[in-house]
Amino acid sequence: MIHKGMFRFRETIRVWQAVHLIMLSQLWAQKMRLILTCLTQVHFNMGTLLQNMQTIIIVTHKLQMVLLSSKEEQINIQTAPGYGTSNSYYQNSTWNGGSFENNYAQSYQNYPSSNTNTVQHSISVPTNSFSYQQQYNQWPYYYNHTVPNPAGDPVGNSNSIVNTTSSYSYPSIQPPPPGTTSWKSNSSSSIAPPIQASGGPGPQDQYINQAHAPVLENQYAGQVAGNPRSQNHYASQTPACPQSTVNLNPVQQSNHGDQQNTVPRIAPGFSMVIPKSEKKILGADLSKKPAYVSVSMVKNDARSLPFSLHNYATRNLNCCKDEAQKAACQSMIEEIKNSAIADGTLLTKNWDTEPLLPLVQNVATIPETSANNSSPSLSTSTNRRRQKSRWEPVVEEKVTDKVEPVKGLVNGTTHNNLEAKNRMSNNWDSRKFFQSHHATANKVSQRPAKKQKISSYSDQMQNGNASSDSDKEQDLTKYYASATALANSPEEKKRREHRSKRFEKNQNSSSKSRNSAASKDVMANIHARRAVSALLARSCEDGTTLAVEDMDWDALTVKGTCQEIEKRYLRLTSAPDPATVRPEHVLEKALSMVETSQKNYLYKCDQLKSIRQDLTVQRIQNELTVKVYETHARLAMQAGDLPEYNQCQSQLKRLYAEGIKGCYFEFSAYNLLCVMLHSNNKRDLLSSLARLSKQAKQDEAVKHALAVHSAVSSGNYVLFFKLYKQAPNLNSCLMDLYVERMRFEAVKCMSKSYRPTIPVGYVAQILGFSRIDSEASEECEMWLKAHGAILSIDNSRDLQLDTKASTTTLYMPEPENAVAHGDASLAVNDFLART
Amino acid sequence: MAAYLSMGEAHRRIADYLSRVADSVSSSDGAALASLLAVSSAQAPAPLSDALSAFPDFPRLAADRYPHLSDLLPPLLRAIHSHSLRRFADAYSSFEKAANAFLQEFRNWETPWAMEAMHTVALEIRLLAEKADRELATSGKNPDKLQSAGSFLMKVFGALAVKGPKRIGALYVTCQLFKIYFRLGTVHLCRSVIRSIETARNFDFEDFPVKDKVTYMYYTGRLEVFNENFLVADQKLTYALVHCNPQYESNLRRILKFLIPVKLSIGVLPRITLLERYNLLEYADVVTSLKRGDLRLLRQALERHEDQFLKSGVYLVLEKLELQVYQRLVKKIHIIQRQKEPAKAHQIKLEVVVKALKWLEIDMDVDEVECIMACLIYKNLIKGYFAHKSKVLVLSKQDPFPKLNGKPV
Repeated sequence: MIHKGMFRFRETIRVWQAVHLIMLSQLWAQKMRLILTCLTQVHFNMGTLLQNMQTIIIVTHKLQMVLLSSKEEQINIQTAPGYGTSNSYYQNSTWNGGSFENNYAQSYQNYPSSNTNTVQHSISVPTNSFSYQQQYNQWPYYYNHTVPNPAGDPVGNSNSIVNTTSSYSYPSIQPPPPGTTSWKSNSSSSIAPPIQASGGPGPQDQYINQAHAPVLENQYAGQVAGNPRSQNHYASQTPACPQSTVNLNPVQQSNHGDQQNTVPRIAPGFSMVIPKSEKKILGADLSKKPAYVSVSMVKNDARSLPFSLHNYATRNLNCCKDEAQKAACQSMIEEIKNSAIADGTLLTKNWDTEPLLPLVQNVATIPETSANNSSPSLSTSTNRRRQKSRWEPVVEEKVTDKVEPVKGLVNGTTHNNLEAKNRMSNNWDSRKFFQSHHATANKVSQRPAKKQKISSYSDQMQNGNASSDSDKEQDLTKYYASATALANSPEEKKRREHRSKRFEKNQNSSSKSRNSAASKDVMANIHARRAVSALLARSCEDGTTLAVEDMDWDALTVKGTCQEIEKRYLRLTSAPDPATVRPEHVLEKALSMVETSQKNYLYKCDQLKSIRQDLTVQRIQNELTVKVYETHARLAMQAGDLPEYNQCQSQLKRLYAEGIKGCYFEFSAYNLLCVMLHSNNKRDLLSSLARLSKQAKQDEAVKHALAVHSAVSSGNYVLFFKLYKQAPNLNSCLMDLYVERMRFEAVKCMSKSYRPTIPVGYVAQILGFSRIDSEASEECEMWLKAHGAILSIDNSRDLQLDTKASTTTLYMPEPENAVAHGDASLAVNDFLART
Repeated sequence: MAAYLSMGEAHRRIADYLSRVADSVSSSDGAALASLLAVSSAQAPAPLSDALSAFPDFPRLAADRYPHLSDLLPPLLRAIHSHSLRRFADAYSSFEKAANAFLQEFRNWETPWAMEAMHTVALEIRLLAEKADRELATSGKNPDKLQSAGSFLMKVFGALAVKGPKRIGALYVTCQLFKIYFRLGTVHLCRSVIRSIETARNFDFEDFPVKDKVTYMYYTGRLEVFNENFLVADQKLTYALVHCNPQYESNLRRILKFLIPVKLSIGVLPRITLLERYNLLEYADVVTSLKRGDLRLLRQALERHEDQFLKSGVYLVLEKLELQVYQRLVKKIHIIQRQKEPAKAHQIKLEVVVKALKWLEIDMDVDEVECIMACLIYKNLIKGYFAHKSKVLVLSKQDPFPKLNGKPV
């Protein structure tokens, strides 16, 4: 029991460490294939993948086999050295370490599935479905089992690793468009840390949530990483079409370049082989037989090449026809890429190249992709080179072993031969191992082969292949059987995703889950759904149909998903992106934030415009909308921003007319004041007055506005400034803009009417200058001088306005704060302070 | 006659109508054509409506029988049919098509023989648009037919306002446009039309028919009231009043409804008998308050008839009469003072005015009353000056309360 716990604990650590290496595209491509292989449980594909693995992976696999087949004591002995080896590789090279650990984790998943297959005796199709369910359920079970680990320190380490992983891999979930890469990356990275800092709902739930996300991230990353490689497959194939002689030259050139790159990777592997010289000697005795078996397999592969090439040519033409139709559809490109990845796991290597034709045409228009061309191309060429030369090194190996076996180990020039020998040896071991331990499984798999013989034969006829080789029939039968099984499991997966999606929608609406977790889940589900549709697509046309349907469905509804409280206002230049639109409950928080903020009017105006835009885009018209416009109108009045106020006022008029509740009377008064004081349109004033209801006329604010109108109409400046001091709500803000003009008219009136003088103190009192008497007089004196009034001092040393002299000298001065663009509020300092 | 109309009889009636339209066009009979185009007026023959209901295939009949009038006759019949069914929106749409077809032909005719018919079309399209908008507003739709009618009439005005014999009919179309714009509330659109009439060399105002000139002056006078150009408004409205046919008392009343406030603004008071004769008694209390200097009565009168004054657009004009009422009040105080103390007849203490206002139940403090006195002096309603220190209004010895003599405050 203790040993099992330790074993699973190491599994956990390695899985988390593997997630760190998300940026290595080659590694993720291979991982994706491994994952799909586990899901399908098809031995044929497993064998194919084994041939393509690197040396390190093969060595790891061998350890796994020995571990499972040995006795309990032997397990104890082997476990410790394996762990040490893992550390050693992780320190030397992150790439090798990740590869080792990931494969190790995946290998473990095969073991319980194999037992399940042994126990169940039903036909293969239901068996595969059941296995798929079993695996899907095992993941949460596995992580739940890991949580109550008694050791305190290991759990702490796991948590720290989890946090690091989540923070690191968050940006990769949202691959940004080329133009906005830097901006979006900064935005995403700035959000993740504070969310991580906040406490989760519970340690166990938090842990499980974190556990699920990386799995989906891995799948998504694998898909993204797989695309460049698939595209380059086609690029390398293109020159081969016209002539066979041309095919050789680029291959050789690529191979030459790749050899230089290969050397650093093989060095650690070489050091690994030396400590196990004893095992190798034992293995040498077995190598004779596998050499013979490998030779026969190579011959079979050689025979199947013409068939693959023929089929490749046929489908190539089909894809060329569809090229034009897909050029303008980006989402279809992604669907096709996913389809290519899925097909890659089902077909032989040559078949893998066929769906690539349309992808390259589309990718050519994206310059970013060219940056990823070099390394995948080299690795692809290397694989193809090795495959072709697999038979010849066997002969050389025999000669080398007979003459000088020890010298071969030490000599660097024979490194490639050694690598090839190891590969063949492991192939033989893996095949024998599976045959001995899964005899029952083989019998079960043979039954569906017999039942589907007729259908597979008809498929061959459709393909135009007349060959009747028995081995080929078996291969094709397995292929179609696995295809049928795969068709069923994605459907079930899709249904499961729909249920999960519904659950997450509820989470979003209730706001119980954390924002980052919610957004991650949404993104993961979107991409997972695409993967499922890709698996379902058997041809390009099907992919097109699904893509179009998905696009139409998404375009119909704009539901914001952005959770940011603060957001700058930018005019829309295209259809709004739901990820940048905030839902209603977030807008409520944003409004509260603006109301309590201490920043200046420009900042608040920017934020409120953004809120209004989000409301308009989502077509929300309710009391929240009214409140937003009322808040903005009040702030605009206080800042003297009449244009902005007028915008809000016209919207409020419309919203009130639709029956939405708000501060109707308050804004009726504002409307009256605005019309009578700031526009010369008498007809608008008449219609505004006529529109007032009797209830409105009873309101204090409206009464005040009507009184202001009466004062202005008769030139009663004393009443005007009396009302100015008693203004309710923000009526005085609108009167502010008329004060200057009213004072000037009043002084003109007094200059003509009073004789011989009038005290400045009296003028200050009745014209609404400051309430403190001394300050009021000084302020009024400055104002009078600025407007050309003549002042004098009487016998009692009081300052007097010389009314007779001032009659002809009064003038309205130019505004002091006038600027070229006419809006003094757009000061440079405020503009800079906004950012 | 039986209620049910036979197909033969319906066919005969429709054919007869079509024949008369075609004959009036071919013989250039403007009057006959005008009566035939009157869709919504009482002149429309009821038998034709019944025939159209009984014979639904009338559009094909019209198009087949008179191909050269196929743009005009089918929509015209359809308009008559829809109007008889009281579907005014459909009637307007059909009539607009017919009107456009008619305008197209009207442009090609050299002589203005069809001017009367064109005027009928202009009148009918406005009336139909008003009915259609009421129908649309009732059913909750957007009432935009009157606006469409305005656009059509602008096209007609453009066709008439060129140099030539047709220009004589432009003023009538202008008046129909005014009616539309005043009803829509978009009176600023009148400016461009007025500029065409008053500044173009192609027009001599005296060449137009009298009834069109009266209507034109009435509406432009109303515009000047909005702009508070009371002198110009007085001239225009007086012209309309003088030249209006005395038999149409409703038209006289309409003109007086705007002329009286204008006269009040320039200091002319109407007699009560005039108000009684034309049922303009809402102005009676206003006139009385001006005579007495009774500010309370003025405010009561404005409050009582507020809806009426706001709707007609004279509320703001009447509100400004407040200063004249104050002037009368001070004048009466002056007369009383002169009787009591002839030596100090030209000095009125501020506290006396405050008492008088308090007696009128108007509560104002001393500063506010002082301000009003200053305003009266500033606006030349009172000659004199105000001594702030002693709080005394000193009146001029010569004509301290000058008459306005046609100059507005």
